Amino acid sequence: MRRAGLFVGLLVLAWTAWDTGADPVRFVRGVPWIIDILGRMLPPDPQVLAPALLGALKTVEIALLGTAVAAVLALPLGFVSARNVVGAPVFYPARAVLNFFRSVDTLVYALIFVAAVGLGPFPGVLAVVAYTTTSLAKLYSEAIEGIDRGPVDAITATGATRLQVLRFGVLPQVLPLFLSYVLYRLETNIRAATVLGFVGAGGIGFYLQTYLRMIDYRAASTVLLVTVAMVMVVDAISSKLRERLV
Amino acid sequence: MIEIARLRVVLPPATVVLDGVDLTVRAGEFVAVLGRSGAGKTTLLRAINRLVEPTAGTVRVAGRAVTGADGVELREARRRMGMIFQQFNLVRRASVIDNVLAGRLGWAPALPSLFGRFPPADRALALECLAQVGLAAMAERRADRLSGGEQQRVAIARALAQQPSVVLADEPTASLDPALTGSIMDILRGINVERGLTLVVSQHQLETARAYATRIVGLRRGRVCFDGPPREVTPAVADAIYGEGA
Repeated sequence: MRRAGLFVGLLVLAWTAWDTGADPVRFVRGVPWIIDILGRMLPPDPQVLAPALLGALKTVEIALLGTAVAAVLALPLGFVSARNVVGAPVFYPARAVLNFFRSVDTLVYALIFVAAVGLGPFPGVLAVVAYTTTSLAKLYSEAIEGIDRGPVDAITATGATRLQVLRFGVLPQVLPLFLSYVLYRLETNIRAATVLGFVGAGGIGFYLQTYLRMIDYRAASTVLLVTVAMVMVVDAISSKLRERLV
Repeated sequence: MIEIARLRVVLPPATVVLDGVDLTVRAGEFVAVLGRSGAGKTTLLRAINRLVEPTAGTVRVAGRAVTGADGVELREARRRMGMIFQQFNLVRRASVIDNVLAGRLGWAPALPSLFGRFPPADRALALECLAQVGLAAMAERRADRLSGGEQQRVAIARALAQQPSVVLADEPTASLDPALTGSIMDILRGINVERGLTLVVSQHQLETARAYATRIVGLRRGRVCFDGPPREVTPAVADAIYGEGA
């Protein structure tokens, strides 16, 4: 049984390699070109540092605003898709809706919102909100499902109302997890937002795409370095904050 | 004080946990409920404040019906009954004093309580209850920094903060070091004697029950198989409660 599984797995992989035209020889032939492009990227062009930094700031803004709005919108959604809060008639449809919207990537949402509201960072924010709301709602609901029943019983036994039970029995257990998920989402959204500019939804991606199209590799490398620095700084801040939550 | 009549609890699909329990507890009694695990001790206690919904039968506490009570009446009944759990069931991330204040939720003004605001009198009372279990100095500590024995004392303080007439304690010493059993049971005897509170304590240790209780109730397969003073618990009675036969 296990052997058959392994065999089928290898067969599938072999087929995908053939169908995608994966060819080690072709890759090796391409290596000199990669080196060539890397060479043409050096040294990075300091003249585009200012626009690159402004673009990075926009990207951070898009991710920050989008994540913050989604963090709030996801709260009610998280509760109505937790198995231990609502009954099956609510739970299953809610989960289905979340899974549907979650399976669409931020970049695809960006394409839709650019078409709807025009170019610029705003459709980028909307795209981040659309994806993050549903993905956070899923994470929230899992946190709610994982709570310790004990404190909930204890608070209920004091004669507390449903809202008080939620506030004193459930919230203290899930809030640190929620915040940690929000920060984690912020980190991934910064990365996702770096490419939103490719489809006209604002931020640093716009500059990267522009310089690559102009074959100005030295300018593009400056933008890339700024992107890397931005992601690292946000990651560092976010993970420091997350450590303090646990 | 507590009148239980023909109480049945059947858990889905068809597990009969309590099979017609009749029990009347007078004010000021210290009742120990004995029985093997699975005999229905926990379910009996949880059915008294309806953390477990009885299938049939009635429970009255201080002359008022608990079974059949609507939401408001049930909360009013619950706030007069303190409950202590085997696993303490504190909100682990909250401070000790906040855990004790939770005992005031049934009494405090609802809206301010949702923002963590309690009347000064409630805070004073909570501190007083903490002092009674010898933990006044730990009020600001996080609950999960305390030892197991200390956590159970906080849980007792939370129950006392309700100013209850009845305290239900579900195996309050079962998850503690045996050396701590005496200290917890001493505190329970103290509140029974000094405050005149009615206590119903489930215990799996016969010796502890005999040393502290004024009355012993034996449960076997969801039915009362013994009810009498500790001195009447003969080896034959113990065998009837715990024995393998029939």
